[in-house]
Amino acid sequence: MSDVIRRDPRAEWIARNRLHPLHGTIAVGDDAEVRGPSGLLRKNPHKVGFIGPNGIKRIDRLKGNGAASGMGRRSSGPQEVQLPLHSVENPDFYIVVVPDLVGGRLTSQDKDILGQAHKMAKDIEGKGAVVAVCFGESKEENYDTAGVDRLIHLEGEEYEGFSPEQRLAALVQVETSLQPKHWLFPDSVNGGTDLGSRLAARLGERPAVQAWQVTHETTVSRGASQSLDITRETPRILMLLEECADAIDETRHEVKAIELDSVPRAIVQLQDQGQVAVDPNAIPLAEAEFILSAGNGIHNWDQFHETAAALGATEGASRVAVDDGFMPRFRQVGATGTWVTARVYLAVGISGAIQHMQGIGQCDKVVAINTDAGCDMVKRAALSAIGDSEEILGELLKLAQEHRANKGEEGEQNAA
Amino acid sequence: MQPNIKQSLDIVSLVSIGQHPQSGRVRRAEQDGRAVELGMNLGGDNLTVLHAGDPQEQALRTYAGMGLSSMQVLNLDTQDDAVPALADYLQQLRPDIVLTGVRAESGESSGMVPYLLAEKLNWPVVARIADIVSVEDGVAEVMLALPRGQRRALKVALPFVASVDNAAPEARQSAYGPGIRAQIEPLAAVKEEDAVRSNWSEAKAKPRPKRLKVVKAKTAAERFKAATAKPQGEAGKVLKGVPAKEQAQEIFNLLLEEKVI
Amino acid sequence: MVLDWLPSVLIAVALSLAVIGAVRRVSLWRAGQPDKVDLIAGLMAMPKRYLHDLHDVVERDKYMSKTHAATGGGFVLSVVLILAVHLFGVDNQILAWALLAALVLMFVGALFVFKRRMDPPSRISKGPWMRLPKSLLAFSSAFIILTLPVAGILPEGTGGWVLTIILSVVIAMGLAEMMFGMTWGGPMKHAFAGALHLAFHRRQERFGGGRSTGLKPVDLTANDGKPEILGVSKPKDFKWNQLLGFDACVQCGRCEAMCPAFAAGQPLNPKKLIQDMVVGLAGGTDAKYAGSPYPGKEVGYAKGGPDQIITQGLVDPETLWSCTTCRACVEECPMMIEHVDAIVDMRRFLTMEKGSTPNKGAEVLDNIIATDNPNGYAPANRANWAADQNLPLMRDVKKADVLFWVSDGAFDMRSQRILRSFVKLMKAAHVDVAILGDEELDSGDVARRLGDDAAFQSLAKRNLEILSQYEFKTIVTTDPHAYHCLRNEYGDFGSDALDGVEVLHHTTYLNRLVQAGSLNLEPFKGGTVTYHDPCYLGRYNGEYEAPRELLRSLGIEIAEMERSGFRSRCCGGGGGAPITDIPGERRIADMRMEDVNTTGAELVAVGCQQCTAMLEGVVEPRPEVKDIAEILADQLIEEVH
Repeated sequence: MSDVIRRDPRAEWIARNRLHPLHGTIAVGDDAEVRGPSGLLRKNPHKVGFIGPNGIKRIDRLKGNGAASGMGRRSSGPQEVQLPLHSVENPDFYIVVVPDLVGGRLTSQDKDILGQAHKMAKDIEGKGAVVAVCFGESKEENYDTAGVDRLIHLEGEEYEGFSPEQRLAALVQVETSLQPKHWLFPDSVNGGTDLGSRLAARLGERPAVQAWQVTHETTVSRGASQSLDITRETPRILMLLEECADAIDETRHEVKAIELDSVPRAIVQLQDQGQVAVDPNAIPLAEAEFILSAGNGIHNWDQFHETAAALGATEGASRVAVDDGFMPRFRQVGATGTWVTARVYLAVGISGAIQHMQGIGQCDKVVAINTDAGCDMVKRAALSAIGDSEEILGELLKLAQEHRANKGEEGEQNAA
Repeated sequence: MQPNIKQSLDIVSLVSIGQHPQSGRVRRAEQDGRAVELGMNLGGDNLTVLHAGDPQEQALRTYAGMGLSSMQVLNLDTQDDAVPALADYLQQLRPDIVLTGVRAESGESSGMVPYLLAEKLNWPVVARIADIVSVEDGVAEVMLALPRGQRRALKVALPFVASVDNAAPEARQSAYGPGIRAQIEPLAAVKEEDAVRSNWSEAKAKPRPKRLKVVKAKTAAERFKAATAKPQGEAGKVLKGVPAKEQAQEIFNLLLEEKVI
Repeated sequence: MVLDWLPSVLIAVALSLAVIGAVRRVSLWRAGQPDKVDLIAGLMAMPKRYLHDLHDVVERDKYMSKTHAATGGGFVLSVVLILAVHLFGVDNQILAWALLAALVLMFVGALFVFKRRMDPPSRISKGPWMRLPKSLLAFSSAFIILTLPVAGILPEGTGGWVLTIILSVVIAMGLAEMMFGMTWGGPMKHAFAGALHLAFHRRQERFGGGRSTGLKPVDLTANDGKPEILGVSKPKDFKWNQLLGFDACVQCGRCEAMCPAFAAGQPLNPKKLIQDMVVGLAGGTDAKYAGSPYPGKEVGYAKGGPDQIITQGLVDPETLWSCTTCRACVEECPMMIEHVDAIVDMRRFLTMEKGSTPNKGAEVLDNIIATDNPNGYAPANRANWAADQNLPLMRDVKKADVLFWVSDGAFDMRSQRILRSFVKLMKAAHVDVAILGDEELDSGDVARRLGDDAAFQSLAKRNLEILSQYEFKTIVTTDPHAYHCLRNEYGDFGSDALDGVEVLHHTTYLNRLVQAGSLNLEPFKGGTVTYHDPCYLGRYNGEYEAPRELLRSLGIEIAEMERSGFRSRCCGGGGGAPITDIPGERRIADMRMEDVNTTGAELVAVGCQQCTAMLEGVVEPRPEVKDIAEILADQLIEEVH
């Protein structure tokens, strides 16, 4: 749609002509003025004006003359908002963020930390720029809205895969060339903690880890397995927990590239042999992300195992299924078995004894397949299918296999 | 699985005093216990279990209860920094592998000890290992624990420092008898006070506020709506009397949405 | 003539061999650890114990008790008289007639033994035991013939050479079994060892109708707090009178018939276990064992000796971990052998020395040590269940008539229903009751049955320490396991916290309230009700009546299960069995539910949270399971103010 405001002479004419049959449908400001029974013009104060962009009531002095044009804009639909650009010329200092970039994209934790960096930069005297140091292939397109003022992107096979030593060498190079005020790392299992710790050890800095409340002066971090809050002066190197600050969402940033002087090749002592294929069923139940769990309602066990394999799910079981010998004991989910933390828990033929429900208390999404619509598992589930488990599993298996086949084709095409 | 060890190994497992998450009581630390377990599986008798702190601490007996005949304790006070003492001791002992937990369960739990030791000894450090698969000709093949049960294989030359992840084999049961009988040998240690720490204040952890869905309302009406609107209905969707095919499709869509497939 | 001197020589030889055997056997027992027993008093009390306590148990099988009285009585009497008549040659007609009478009595008894052995039930052992009736018959008949001339019925020298030879062989056979075999490990060993076992029993309190069920504590202070060995690793680590007790086994298999683990196909057979202990104390293999094996395990491969570790070759640890400590075997054993003591002793070694408690055992023990409850819940949350109950805490009131011991059911949502029902009843009866809140700790029952006596003792001492701070007359608990610990096991730790305090199970206490008319109840109108006796309430503490009386007070006529009262079958939940979880062919709880189903009951009344959990774990459809407190609370007519 065009953003050019156009006048609609017909609408304006109707708005002016109170006797026009369509007048009531078009005139906006007009509703506020009603001809009273005595013929007097009455103003309805509630109808006067409109709510402005800041939530403040505005009165339109154009007397409806601007209404038509306003309507025209309204009809142009939601538009791309161009966020204001936050630019830093000749920064006085730098705050460096080293995002995890899982799968080449910023994680939500990375974005929070970029937000944190800006929060700190704002409070420190002088103009600061937030630098992101990214390693390896990047698929991220929105560095600007995530709050990256400067980007150091290091690519090349030496940074691919598992390469903490080479990355550390690069960070040391950044340290000497930028002298950053702070280094921020995500405190995560995706590499942030490792890299941050390596840098801290190399620079001889005492980092704050598991930090969650940080200003440029003081830092509150967790200690003693999350049971302690340590308050201290904010150190140079920080490893931050998730949701430590809000991500940037109101500004755009320059994403100016900084080229580093050549980074020396580190002596690689840790030789990456690549990721190892792990059978989903070998993943410990407590760690598994997606569990397909079987209960008393399963009769076709071959089909169940096949479905689990096709979906790539870790298998779980209720106590009864274990007692009856269909599943090994270490697969038992529940208060007397394993307490699971899966994001998705697909319970087939489990009605949900209290002990079982306790064991899946931390699961995000529970899906139930059951014949009994009134059972506790269905009450807990975000999605329930009431019906014969064998039939539904059969369909699910088909879908999974199709999905897999499609994916395989896609993969081939991509390769081609 | 028995590791494939083709040479004699001197292993040091560093242990700290753990803390139970529910009761706060001292105990064998989860990951340190795994470090000892891994050390026992690899090194057999050439395992040194080392602690820096108070040799009288009862929780040390829970490590000994795994079947250790003796433990070494670098005698330190609570305000002392463990790293200089450990580094000094390891410098003299020159073991092949030093195993630690990822993070201590008490104190600062910064997880820096393996990195600092590695830096001081100038050894490589491997974080979060799940297993040591083999050691051959001075090179160890190590399994790294990645999130959600994934693994990465790595080769590293001896000597090195490794921190042991929760994905490593669980520590064996600690038995009372061997625990009380084990010899705990206090050793004199380099004492350096942890000066940074003295400037801290420590308090019981406050519960972290859960991030709310912030509605950036531009208008009063939107703000009002955000404040008063009922949260989205929690009741789950129930598919009843629907053909199995559609039910399966619905479930499958949810799985796709959650990105578990 | 040969017949004149041959019998006396044979008797003398057999007798001296028996004495040598006895000395040898005694030395085997003496390899065990010392235990304080009053030897003289024990020996003096032995005949009474035999005729009274032992006979009471045997009497449950009328056929066998009569048979045994005839055979055994006849034998003892005839041996005394044989010594007089045939060895010392006292020529007295009256003595000879008395001997004849005794021998005939024995002969008749032996005939019945013979008849029993024609088609023996599967629980009794075969092998050498099958020749016992023949030996008994041979012994009695040979001596009858031998005595006839002495009694003057037959002239001296009747029969001539042939008869003499035959008779001599038969006498030798009989004597070999009855005298030589008695002390050299034949079936008759049971008489010799059994008699001494009764005299030197480790739980003397059991005789005369007493009850002694608390486990004996491990001495953790020995050797300056570092005992050389904890629990029993080798047969010689048992107390000497425990070894003696094993030797007393008659292999009647009554324990086997009662054992829930055996019936469930788990690898435990109490009789075989005791026989393996005998193999262990004497050294050798179990090849000669001729009874039922451990389910799923072949006989003949177990090897052991007094100095060899039991769990390495003699008994599989799985066997020890299958036991639910229900004491059905002990209750049923005519020789009053203590199977459970032995099993827990050996478990102590596995847990406290080897650190090999199976399955979830290690985790549960770690939790108990670190959080004072088996599931690792935050100890501060222990009283959360009572947030809406308005129950005073001992910490605040310091003093109350009744202390309600809540036990670990406080953390379990199902058990909390029982707790609430009980509190409702207590309030209705206006009882001055208080709880310890989060000062209460696990009773230590599970830790102790899993063999971790160190953890148990630590809990017991800390619990006693807390109890000693407050003043109360009665402790009432809804958990029979805690009840047992408090009542029978906490006494060993030198605290006066429980002196003069009555420890009661809630059914006992509620029964008193109902009998005193403090509770206004309306009659029960549901269907058929049966009652399941919890092991730790019934066999461990002898409380069979109070729960039944309570049910009757509601107008319920209990449809009793075949196995109820002291013969009640375990639910499978005791002794940490659900934690160690040894696989079998069936689940014990399922078998118990079948017992319930045969009564046609629609409701099982229970007096234990563990039994409730186990029975409710049976797949539906099944009868409803409710604690008696819940049933009563439902029938309570609440006062309207």
